[in-house]
Amino acid sequence: MDVSIINPLLTAFTEVLPQLGFQSVERRKVSKIEAAFQYNGILLNISLFGTVKGAILFGMDIEAAKKFASKMMMGMPVAELDAMARSAISEMGNMVCANTCTQFTKIGITDLDISPPTLMISENGEATLPVPKSIVVNFLIDDIELSAYVSLMNK
Amino acid sequence: MSAIKVMVVDDSLFSRTLIVEILRDSGLEVVGEADSYDSLIETYERCRPDVVTMDIVMPDMDGFECSRALFVKDPNAKIILVSSMKDEESEVEARRIGISGYIQKPVDSDYLVQMINNVMAPDIHYDHLLAYGLETFKESLTQNIARMTKSPVSFASYENFGDHYLSQGITAVIGLIGRHSGSMILDMSMETAERIVEMLLKRAHRNREEVLSMVAELANIIAGVACSMLNKSDKTYSLSVSPPSLFYGTGTEIMSPNLKMDAVTAGTNFGNIFLGVGFKKGSSIWM
Repeated sequence: MDVSIINPLLTAFTEVLPQLGFQSVERRKVSKIEAAFQYNGILLNISLFGTVKGAILFGMDIEAAKKFASKMMMGMPVAELDAMARSAISEMGNMVCANTCTQFTKIGITDLDISPPTLMISENGEATLPVPKSIVVNFLIDDIELSAYVSLMNK
Repeated sequence: MSAIKVMVVDDSLFSRTLIVEILRDSGLEVVGEADSYDSLIETYERCRPDVVTMDIVMPDMDGFECSRALFVKDPNAKIILVSSMKDEESEVEARRIGISGYIQKPVDSDYLVQMINNVMAPDIHYDHLLAYGLETFKESLTQNIARMTKSPVSFASYENFGDHYLSQGITAVIGLIGRHSGSMILDMSMETAERIVEMLLKRAHRNREEVLSMVAELANIIAGVACSMLNKSDKTYSLSVSPPSLFYGTGTEIMSPNLKMDAVTAGTNFGNIFLGVGFKKGSSIWM
């Protein structure tokens, strides 16, 4: 998978997150990964379908996810990753992916659509992405670490 | 039946007054008004409207940003964008983030009222999908298990997916994209999956990858066949299937916070298979 395929996602992050109350969106590391990887905490899956297809996933550990949800809810304390917090994070994923599709439109890929988000929570989980070679981007959003897995292929 | 409750968001007093007048004249109830992002959420929570009309150009945050903030508060909010600007790009983004309608200023009163009524009207296609969606996926699962393993399937109702579901071991998640987008979740224990592999390959599994890829393929086939059946029943569904993401690990909680899932447990000779299917109410007025 060509690394430039992540550009729409990067733009989406910098456009959408400030609107959800975050001050700084810093891109840390970009690396290629094999299909299978370990995760600890939450993993949010959103499928994409069109000229390119696959999925975009967002991973955070539980503490990061609580902080993230709290920021989205105007600083309301989040002690447990409850239904409201999970819903907030899912909406974030939905919006970033919707905006990613819009960014794809600007490079001529106009037919993408997304599925509703599915959220996994696990202490020692393993995931297998829909595409053999995917790209993971590590973000620091305010002081919260978030990984975005871009797993897309041409139709 | 009580009148539809509408909240009007616009920074211009003139525009707001105009829209409020149109709505009142048409017998709709205007329960709240907001002129900025700051007043939006508070007003929304206080007056709980059925529908929100949202201006796009506002001083602090635009209508898209306000809509996003509102969806974070209430993923089921129904928003109609009202703007002097309307191009394809903003229309497509509006649809993807879940906005129900988009209408250009100057507002045509009949069109606005019709759009609000459409947004609130029951969607026959969606109701049909809710009624037959899970049934179709069950049929597809039964057919394909029977075809592949020559063995029967029985179903036990799974009392509402509710908050979350605890994985038995391996989960395949497939996105369903179309007029109404949705998700399918297929989940089974490692042992169940191993027994299916053994049956299909007529030998013991060699490694975990072999087992995982069988689950991915099975999910893919079940979702693909079910979507074909639904598309055949009504081609406007135009459902497609995304490639599956796989999750492995006992004790994994699976949830779909902004989507209602219907679920069943399928009993097979190899063990139980959990099947969950949900569709999001799309915006038929976009099509």
